[in-house]
Amino acid sequence: MAAAAAVRVPAVNGTKRKESEGTESSDGEGEPFPELDPRSDTVDEEDEEDNDPEDESDEEEEDSEEDEDDEQDPDARLDRLIAKYSEKPDESDPTEHRAADPRAPKIVQSDITGFPKKVYPDIDPVYDSDSSTEEDPNRIGNVPLEWYDDLPHIGYDIYGKRVLRPAKGDELDKFLATVEDPTSWSTAVDKRTGAQVQLSPEELDIIGRLARAENPDAEYDPYEPMVEWFTGPGKERSMPLSGRPEPKGRFVPSKWEHKKVMKIVRAIRQGKITPHGPAAPQQPQFYALWNTGDEANDAHPPPLVAPKVRLPTHSESYNPPKEYLPTDGEKKEWEAQDPSEREEDYLPRSHDTLRQVPGYDQFISERYSRQLDLYLAPRVRRVKLNIDPESLVPHLPSVNELRPFPIAQNVVFPHQARVRAVSWSMDGTWLVTGDEAGTVRCWEAEVGKCVWEAGFEGPVGAVEWCPKYDFFLIAHLAWHNKGDYFASVAPDAGAGSVYIHQVTRHSSQSPFNRMKGSVQLVSFHPRLPHFFVATQRYVRQYDLANQRLVRTLHPGLRWISSLSLHPSGQHLLVGSYDRKLAWFDLEMGTRPFKVLRYHSRAIRGLAFSPHYPLFATASDDGTLQLFHATVYADLMQDPRIVPLKILRGHEVREGLGVLGVRWHPRFCWCVSVGADGNAVLWAN
Amino acid sequence: MGKIQRKGKTGASKTYITRTHAVRKLQLSLGDFRRLCILKGLYPVEPPSRKKANKGSTAPTTFYYTKDIAYLAHEPVLSKLRQHKAFAKKLARAIGRSEWADAKSLEQREPKYKLDHIIKERYPTFIDAVRDIDDALCLVHLFSTLPSNDKLDPKLIAHCARLSAEWQLYVMRAHALRKVFLSIKGVYFQAEVMGQPVTWLVPYMFTQQVPADVDFRVMLTFLELYQTLLGFVLFKLYSTLNLVYPPPLDEAKDELAAGVGAYVLKEAGELDLGKEQVAEGVEKVREGDVRRALEGIPIPTEAEEIEEVPPQTEGEAKDEPDEPKELPSKLAPAEDSAPEPAPTPERVNTSLFSPFVIYISREVTRPVFEFVLRSFGARVGWAPSLGSGSPYSLEDPRITHVLLDRPQVPLGWVREGRRYVQPQWVVDCVNSGRVVPEGAYAMGEVLPPHLSPFVQEVPGGVVDAEGGEEEMDDDDEEEAAEDIEDAEADEEEPEEASPTAKPKSTKPKLADLPALLASASDPSDPSLLRAAELEAESLSLSHAEFQALLKQAIKRANASPRAQLKKQDAEAEEERGKMLMSRKKRQLYEKMKFGNERKREGERKLQRKREALRREGK
Repeated sequence: MAAAAAVRVPAVNGTKRKESEGTESSDGEGEPFPELDPRSDTVDEEDEEDNDPEDESDEEEEDSEEDEDDEQDPDARLDRLIAKYSEKPDESDPTEHRAADPRAPKIVQSDITGFPKKVYPDIDPVYDSDSSTEEDPNRIGNVPLEWYDDLPHIGYDIYGKRVLRPAKGDELDKFLATVEDPTSWSTAVDKRTGAQVQLSPEELDIIGRLARAENPDAEYDPYEPMVEWFTGPGKERSMPLSGRPEPKGRFVPSKWEHKKVMKIVRAIRQGKITPHGPAAPQQPQFYALWNTGDEANDAHPPPLVAPKVRLPTHSESYNPPKEYLPTDGEKKEWEAQDPSEREEDYLPRSHDTLRQVPGYDQFISERYSRQLDLYLAPRVRRVKLNIDPESLVPHLPSVNELRPFPIAQNVVFPHQARVRAVSWSMDGTWLVTGDEAGTVRCWEAEVGKCVWEAGFEGPVGAVEWCPKYDFFLIAHLAWHNKGDYFASVAPDAGAGSVYIHQVTRHSSQSPFNRMKGSVQLVSFHPRLPHFFVATQRYVRQYDLANQRLVRTLHPGLRWISSLSLHPSGQHLLVGSYDRKLAWFDLEMGTRPFKVLRYHSRAIRGLAFSPHYPLFATASDDGTLQLFHATVYADLMQDPRIVPLKILRGHEVREGLGVLGVRWHPRFCWCVSVGADGNAVLWAN
Repeated sequence: MGKIQRKGKTGASKTYITRTHAVRKLQLSLGDFRRLCILKGLYPVEPPSRKKANKGSTAPTTFYYTKDIAYLAHEPVLSKLRQHKAFAKKLARAIGRSEWADAKSLEQREPKYKLDHIIKERYPTFIDAVRDIDDALCLVHLFSTLPSNDKLDPKLIAHCARLSAEWQLYVMRAHALRKVFLSIKGVYFQAEVMGQPVTWLVPYMFTQQVPADVDFRVMLTFLELYQTLLGFVLFKLYSTLNLVYPPPLDEAKDELAAGVGAYVLKEAGELDLGKEQVAEGVEKVREGDVRRALEGIPIPTEAEEIEEVPPQTEGEAKDEPDEPKELPSKLAPAEDSAPEPAPTPERVNTSLFSPFVIYISREVTRPVFEFVLRSFGARVGWAPSLGSGSPYSLEDPRITHVLLDRPQVPLGWVREGRRYVQPQWVVDCVNSGRVVPEGAYAMGEVLPPHLSPFVQEVPGGVVDAEGGEEEMDDDDEEEAAEDIEDAEADEEEPEEASPTAKPKSTKPKLADLPALLASASDPSDPSLLRAAELEAESLSLSHAEFQALLKQAIKRANASPRAQLKKQDAEAEEERGKMLMSRKKRQLYEKMKFGNERKREGERKLQRKREALRREGK
């Protein structure tokens, strides 16, 4: 049977690869697909009758004849069919007869029934090379092959039998096989079967072509000569495709175009179309732009109107009054000035008659500069105060209403050096002064007689008469007004800079453990056990009885120079080296009620009068300024401060003027000491 | 939490825009931007803080309001300027390629802008426009006298001349001229139009010197605007007088230099009148008044009627052009803009010269004086060399006055009943509102000084036309000032008087004579007087001189302590007051004092000069 297949294969398809003869399945693969015959059953029947393959052609012929017969005579065909099927088949020796025919069934005794049965040979379907129909001995389907890695078989055949794994030699065998077998390079492993397959020369050729990126078909010729079907000599067409004659429209001007053109021509003739767009309607250049009902646009503020040019004054006249003509000096001054600085842009000139007036050479320049102003100068609305300057000055009561106050220099107490300190005795009879040379002098105030004098090593900076007893102390200090206590200051001694001493007990104590800033001045409250300490910038009020800070005052001054308490104890004056005077209402808060700056140099000293509503400030500008300061009992009413008089009598020496001022305990007198070495008594 | 405020997104940095930024935003050249600013009347502004407005930079820049620039972006003229730019490129290309036909056709289509809408926008009402024509008139009058050259089109100059003539015709016809001033710069005229004072300056008839540093592009842009503005204003003014605008020009007369006489004023036809009445019924009433006034019919209620016409000035502030100052606006309350005194509707005699026939001689500038004389009703004739069309010749017996400007009257000219006056007479008559005697203005006479009519003399101070008032403050202060002046004057007196008698070097001063001073301080003491006499003898002074000196010293001794004391008191008072003032107020006070003092100083200086001249004259 295999031989028969091998015989038939080449006849059908020469290009088909020849399978190895050993396998039955590959046999079938090579066979071509047979023609399907709808009457194959009948053919088989006939075959059985004829038993001759050569008859096939005859039968075909007969078939064709029959076909013709069908068309010709259906009765004859019917007769033949009846004859065919009514005839009894020959059953004489089926086995013998069948042996010659490979497709004949074999009579086999059945194992189960024991009767003979017909076993037909396998029908070779002779599927073509289509791989989908390729007969694969391994029928496991499309499953991963590694599932069978651990098993002795590699799958199952069509009958469900195991396909055993072909014996695989070890690596040495493989090597030996490659060495011994010269064709081993052209073998490959079939993964489905695990068998070594020898590749045919055609297959090798295909692999080679693919490797060279050529067409795998060996018979494909990329350089075939072109077949000229319609071109080339002898193949030209001599006649046009269409034999229609050229239409008339090709030779005659277009009627519709003519109509369109005529439309445009008519429009041009009528003036509807002008060469360059529609002509603007002729309007008069000027017309009534404004109507009576016109109103300014209120939605926007109107722009600022440019100020008009200043109108000419007499001096611009061609024949001005003589006083307007400049003198030679004024002319020179005007010419020396920069044009932008000049008050007037012309020099007044006088001409006897109009015919002598020359042309003005700056005319165009002036018009031009006006125009530049119009479009380049920023315009700003500026409010011009048109008020009497005197209305700005506050109304002050007349000085005469506020008398008495010291107005004139009365007695001068001379020293040889700058007098720094002065103090009145408690009854105002005696005056003690101390200068920088260390001299301390005691004067009889009214007559100016020096009654006592003493010299010290260093300069005397402070002298204070005890308010209770007839003695004074020479130090930087402040007396309590009962005369038992006094406080002394050593500005740079830190916490120990302030000491309070009690005269009767001869004891001293330092009230502060630590002190912020360097203490400049101290003062006792006239009525309460309060104590004021002024550092460089702040004034602190302490309650000595309860040992606590009452308030810190912020005068806003750079360097406090002097301090004075109002006799009522409710107001405080602070003077500073930066020329300012701050008035504190102690009930009002920590900020000054009023700050005045009127001295042109530093304030050195100030003092409230003990009996009169007066105070005085002494300054380095050499003046003593007297003020009237009324303090009202009504808390709602602000104190009234009125400047009274500037007392000038001290000279300014080396930048220092009046260094201190003290009021007489009873009278309206004050004494000032100055850098010119004099103490001056001012009286009313 | 509010919206996060980013720097430079609100406030001054958004309100103001620098010029460079504006030019970039509008995508214009600087020249076009300038042109647009001039035409639109856009001016820079000064931000309160330049630093805030310019993103922290204090570099010197010009600021504009951002909104102004935003409005500018929608300006039709702007798009025309852009079109013109494209046009110029096309034209240049066509010319460069020698495509003459294209160039010609392009040129015919040159984009041109119109300014009508800008005029209407800048001056919403007619009064607004009238208020702002001063500069326009000045410039148009200037350009009408300029010579044409390659930069100045003769057509432009002709148009300016036409506009100025039309304006003069209107003023003459409406008798609107009020004041004339012959200054060294030119002739100032002031007319009252629609209740508004309009002042313009006309240069004397000389060829103008054109300085090199003048940018004529700026001037021409302004001129362009002013021509349009004046055209519309004149149209309106002519229509209020029921006249045809533009008045037709008689070419033949113009050729013969007839001046303003070459224009023919034509009344509008009846039909037009009807139209006008429908359109502007309100103004028609006023027109009627004007016409009646023109016809010279005496109407008893004229004064009342004139006064009824409100002086439509709401305090227009005038100041130096370079110094921006307060300006009237609707935002500001009326009190703020009060300082400007409303021009009182004075009675002006517009027919001042109506009895006269005045002949203008050839050396007198005819345009100026013909204009002035005709505005005030005179009939005017002029020399043939000044132009044709004179209705009177020199021989005409009707001539009452001849304007002459020469040292003496030519021999053959003198006639019975004629006055020969210098031109200043006309102007002084106009300014004083009456016919002043001609005697002082005769030929060869030294003319009286010509004063500015814009300065109003008031007793005790000067009120100039700008409304800046200068008044003496308090009585006592004035007294003090007088005292000082007296003293000074007395001091000066011998100085001025003595040089005639003695050389200045030998003249003793009061300070050199202590005995004399002592005697003067106590005149009753004979011993002091004796000592003073001895002293004078030693200095070889004559008795008369000694007596004069003594008198002076006594006067001084009497006057000065009182004055000085007063002065000291005043100073002390001032000092006291200043002490209690805040620093801001004090500075303001001092500034005001300083300004007032400077003004008064100028007056005093003039006064001193006047006194000196008076004494010299004696």
